[in-house]
Formats: sequence, C-alpha cells, structure tokens
Amino acid sequence: MKSNWQKGVLYVAVIGIEGCWLYALMALLNNKVADGSLHVFGILLLYLISFGLNRMLLRLRWPAVCLRTISWLIWVAGLLLIVKIQLFGGLAWSDTTWLLAVPRAIADVIYTFKPELLILISTAAIWWLGRRLAYLKISFAALVSEFQLGLFIMVITFFIASQIEVELAHSIYLIVAFFFFSLLGVSVSHALEGTSWLSGLYQGHWSGLLLVSISLILIVGFIISLVVTPDFLQIILVALKWVWGLIMKVFAFFASLLPEPEPAEPPPPIPMPEAVPPEEFKPWTMPEFLRNGLRLGWSILMAGLFLFALWRLSSTIFGWLRRRLAGTGGADYEKLPGAFRADFLSFLKRLLHNLLGLRRLFRPKAADKPLLPEIASIRQIYRQFLHWAADAGFPRQLSQTPHEYLYELASLLPEAQEDLGMITQQYVRTRYSVWLPTEDELHQLKQSWYNVKRCPLGDRR
Amino acid sequence: MDETVKGVNQEVKEAADKLISNVNKVIVGKQETIELVLVALLAGGHVLIEDIPGIGKTMLARAVARSLGCSFKRIQSTPDLLPSDVTGIHYFNQKTSEFEFRPGPIMANIVLVDEINRATPRTQSCLLECMQEQQVTVDLETVALPRPFLIMATQNPVEMEGTFPLPEAQLDRFLLRINLGYPSEDEEGAILTRFQQDNPLDSLDSVIEAGQLLNLQKLCRMVYVEESVRNYAVAISRATRSHDDIKLGASPRASLGLHLASQALAAIRGRDYVLPDDIKYLAVPVMTHRLISRKEARLTGHSLDTIVSEIVSNVPVPVEEQTNINIKGVKNEKRLA
Repeated sequence: MKSNWQKGVLYVAVIGIEGCWLYALMALLNNKVADGSLHVFGILLLYLISFGLNRMLLRLRWPAVCLRTISWLIWVAGLLLIVKIQLFGGLAWSDTTWLLAVPRAIADVIYTFKPELLILISTAAIWWLGRRLAYLKISFAALVSEFQLGLFIMVITFFIASQIEVELAHSIYLIVAFFFFSLLGVSVSHALEGTSWLSGLYQGHWSGLLLVSISLILIVGFIISLVVTPDFLQIILVALKWVWGLIMKVFAFFASLLPEPEPAEPPPPIPMPEAVPPEEFKPWTMPEFLRNGLRLGWSILMAGLFLFALWRLSSTIFGWLRRRLAGTGGADYEKLPGAFRADFLSFLKRLLHNLLGLRRLFRPKAADKPLLPEIASIRQIYRQFLHWAADAGFPRQLSQTPHEYLYELASLLPEAQEDLGMITQQYVRTRYSVWLPTEDELHQLKQSWYNVKRCPLGDRR
Repeated sequence: MDETVKGVNQEVKEAADKLISNVNKVIVGKQETIELVLVALLAGGHVLIEDIPGIGKTMLARAVARSLGCSFKRIQSTPDLLPSDVTGIHYFNQKTSEFEFRPGPIMANIVLVDEINRATPRTQSCLLECMQEQQVTVDLETVALPRPFLIMATQNPVEMEGTFPLPEAQLDRFLLRINLGYPSEDEEGAILTRFQQDNPLDSLDSVIEAGQLLNLQKLCRMVYVEESVRNYAVAISRATRSHDDIKLGASPRASLGLHLASQALAAIRGRDYVLPDDIKYLAVPVMTHRLISRKEARLTGHSLDTIVSEIVSNVPVPVEEQTNINIKGVKNEKRLA
C-alpha cells in the first residue's frame, strides 16, 4: 500500500464525499432560491477545477500570498462565467448587465435573496473546499472527519427538505454514493496508516477490512429494512396512542376525585373615573430595511448555534464510538461486568458536559493586554510563520510546543534549520519570558523569516 | 527584568553541572535521572526511586547525598521498624534525672529511606508530618527538622511479599517518582570497569554545601512562570480528574509540585523562565504516582505513564492564538507585512 494510486483513491473518496453532500445542499438551495433553474453539476464542476488548479499552483515556488491571490482571482473569473452562462445565457457578451448582476444582488440582499447571491456564496465555498483539498494531507482521521461532516450535513439537508416538502432528485443514489466513497476512503486510509480506531483483527489487511465494513453496513441496512416496514410503524403508532389515552384516562380519574370549586360571588363593580382621552401617541416603528437586516442576522445566529450544537454532539458520539472500538488489536481481553455501563454513563456525562460547555460562548472575554511594539512584532511574525507552514500542509498540532514544532519542520527543511531556530527562539523568549529584543535581534528575526518564506516547504509533503 | 533573576540561570546551572558531573563519577549514564533528582532537591520536594533490585537506586541516593555535603542518614525499612526508631524518643537520663530527647535518623538534611514499602503503614505514616511540614512531634513536643530537608525513598515494585504498598496520602507527598531502568550495554561495561578497583563512592567529595543549596532553592523560586504556562500546568492537572481511565485524579498539591519542579528544571537548564516543554517533560514523573487508574484501564494494559502521556498530548499548549495581536491597545494585522 505504498503506491501513488492509493493516494489517488483517497482523493477520489474525499471528492466523492464532499461532492455528494455539496450536491444535496445545492439541490435544496437551488429549489428554494432559484426554483430549480440553476444547473448544479455546472457549479460543482468548479470544485474539481479548484482542486486541480490549486494543486498545480502548489508546485510553483511562489510566495503563499501570490498563490492565494491568483487562486481567488481565478475564482472571480469562474463566478462571472457561471453567472453569465446560467442566468444570462441569452444576453450578448458585450452587454455588461451580467457583470453588474452580482453587486446588485449583494445590494438587494435585505429585500430578496437572488440566485446570483446563491452562486456567489456556493462558488466561494466550493472554491475554498477545492483549495483546501489541494493542500490537505489526507489521513485516516481526516477521512473520518469528512465522513462525519458529510453525514451531518446530509441528514440536516434531507430533514429540511422533508419539512419544507422539497423533493430532492437522485437522493437514493446520492446516499449510496456517499456511503460508498466514505467506506472506500476510510478503509484505504486505515490500511495505509495501519493504526487507528478500526485496528483490530483485520489490521494490515485493508481489502479484508473494506469487505467486512461494507458487508456489515449492508447486513445492518438489510435487517433494518426487513424489520421497519410501514405495518410495523403503524403498530408502534397505535401502541403509543393507546398508552397516551391510558395516561389521559388516569389523569381524568384523579381529577374527578377533587371537589369542584364553588362559584364565587362576583365582586361589586368599582366606580371608574371618567376616562380622559389620551394624547395622540405615535409609536416608533422600525424601518423595514433595519427589521429585515435584524431578522436576517437573528436567523443566521440561531442557525449557526443550532448547527454548532449538533456538531459538538455528533463529535462526542463519534469520539465515544472510536474509543469503544479501539484497543482490541489482536489481544485477548477479559470480560468486565459493568464496564460497558460505566463507560456509557461516562459518555453521557461528557455529553452533558459538552452541552453545558456551550455556555462558554457567551462568556465575556478578558480584554487583551496591550503589548510593546517589539514583542508584538515577534509574535506577529511567528503567527505568519505558523500560517505559512500550515498552508504548506504542515500545521502545528495543538499539543505541540514551539520547540517540538521546530524539530518537525527542521527535519523537513534542514537547510533552513538555523533560521527556523532563530524564529522559534526569539518567539519563545518573548512569549514565555519578560525579555525585550534589541533592534539588531529584531532585524535578524525579520531576515530569518524572509529566508524561511522562500523555502519550498510545500514540496516536502 | 530584575538583575537578580537574570543571574539565576548562571548560578543554578553552574551548581547543577558541578553536582551532575560529581554524581556521574559513581553513576554511569542516567543524566536525565540525576537531573530529576536535582529538580526535586532544588524545588524542595522528596523523591521516590522505584525500580527492580540491583539497578543502583541506593547508590544514586548515596552519591547525591555525598555530593551535597549535608548531614546524611539512612533508614533501612523493615516490618519491625517503629515510628520512634525514625523520629527519636525521650529517654530517662539517670545522671540528670530528666527525660531527654534522643533524635532519630530523620534529623538529617538528606534521609535515605531504603525499601520504604517494607515498613508497616504505622511507620510509613510517621513520615507524613516530616515530609509535608518538615517537623516531627514526639510526646507532644514538636521539633523542626534541619533545612534543607530531603527524603529519598526507594522501593521495589516487583517484590510484593512482606511489603505494604504506600497509601495515596504518602505518595502524594513525593514530588517526583523516578525509574532508573537498565543501563545500556556500553554503560554496563563502564560500571564493571569503574568498580573494578574500589567503590568510587568512598572517595566522592561534596560540591555543594547546605547553605548554598538553600540559596539555590530561593533562586529557583524566582524563575518566571508566564500566566499561560501556569494555566497549562493546571489544565494538565485538571485533565487527569476527568479522564475516563483515571479513578483518582491529581491533587492541587500535584499542580503546585509541577509548578515548582518546572521552575527548578528551567533554572538547571540555564533559563530564567519556564517553557511549556518543561511542564510536558515533568508531567509523567510528577503526576503518575499520585493517580489511581481504573481496573478496566489496568486490564487493557494502559499504564499510568501512558495515560498521562496521552493527556499531555491532548492538552493544547499555549502558543500564538489565531487572533490579531494587540499592539499598544490597537489591533493591527498589517503592521509587519
């Protein structure tokens, strides 16, 4: 499992997974915003273009800012092209109306959500995803996260579609394709890495693992489809209604045991003073555009919070499953009575903890302490350095210290070891100490950063 | 920065280098272990050396004690050892017709408690007051122990017959737990050569005096710990309390120990500030002996060392955040572009 074609399979799997949920989401939005007038496949083509183009750009040894600028300029061209072809197909190229369509749609966003705006947002997201994939180091963990994210978005999309009664085309094929690509990607990446939460009896046999995983999913799906029939659901519904009726009868019985209150005599009418006609009062009404804006903001905020909460929950559930399936790699294990219950309770506790943790979002943050310009300069350079390395496909892990990160990068770029060391050392001294750099040291640091930026870290992937 | 603080790194580093090279005349290799003992010494903590017999636990303790030029006593723990054998007793002097206090072996700067788990829980418990409050109470009379005071205890984790495992309260009072491990092939050869003629321990001179050690301890306390690094140590400690595989998490004393030990380590390595690397490095020796893992974790082969390492690899290190830096109160991204 060391040849390039397997890495190619991983890319195909990620493209497939993201393509499936993007199609579902786009189809729903297309139905709602543009009455199905947009050609979704045409827009999704931009995803492949973005991936291919950014992969090519990655080979150029240009500064990251240049590559980013070029990439997004191409996106603008692609956006305009899609708007012209899909919305203004009949218009002559010389007519500039189609060029101004997007800015006009942005200006009118308070009043109406036009298809141009949908194209703008969707193409930006698609372009970003394609670019991200070009830079992504595909691993088993990344594949599982892709699957998790995709499943989450697809469930939400289908749920919303059923609620607003929109029928999504090819939904069955879409789900089958999504699971196919997910299983393929997870199995292949697992076999490539050899160590993961699916490791076990099949560790190292990626084809076996693939077959077992697919068979398992198919068998479970088959059993569910056999058991959960419309008649079965009808029986459950009738049973639930019967239980509910019984509960209501019990409540009615208890209520009948209580004595009915005697009707109280109405109090004598209170003499009312003569009403003085009020002065003409003109209540302040909020302008329509402000109300629309606030409504839009409120909806985005609520939807965001809802999605975030769901994301946290699904992460916890996946984490738990991952842990449950880990650590049985070929070893004999003893049955522990009560262990599952204890673990499940612990999982529920963590779930509750995570839900409560959402409150942290609303806590006021402590104000940043102002820094001296020299210290701020060094920290800013280190931030740029982190971005640069992350863009090249080597982001710092959250639990990595600056020195550990330095060793990782220095092993990839031995020629820049000295400059990398200089940047890290200066940063560490300013970040964790009360040291103040001199002008010369600051100059040296900038020079080192300039040297490091020119190193082709992206090629060492 | 204070000029005194600036000098910390040099003075402590020089003393540490001297002591390490002196101990190395007896102990072959094991630089990291000797450094950890020194950390405990400078942080004012106690050390539990745990390993199989014949590895050099007692030799290490004796070599460190000899190098320090402080008073040194050794207590060989046995099941019939009594608390009064450790702390001392009041005896009746017939000449003066008065009760007089005869101090026990605990009244020394460095005390080596060999095979501590062979002493009964009653005798082990008499060390609690000595270790935490650096004093002993005998017949209602409280006597302060000499400063500096360090207990170096050894125990053999393999042999269980006739032993009494240390209670959690006792373990929590040890700053560090150290494992020596087998020497490498070259090191083992060097040991044979070195001990061929005579025992190098007999000719070992002291390189640091008691007064100097107290001064070094004070200097270590002056090492700067940035707020986020301090929070990082606390985060690791707190993470042990909510870990699924751990039944009893780290105590606040463990957080304090990690903080003090990291200051000492930074000073030994010639720095006047603590790095997250120091905290990471010390998390295992400071934490593991204070924790109790669940039986499920033990049965699945998850040792406490592994669990603590896993916790450390999951706690985010305080490095640059992704927000803009506040320069004199103004947020500015392009300032350095």
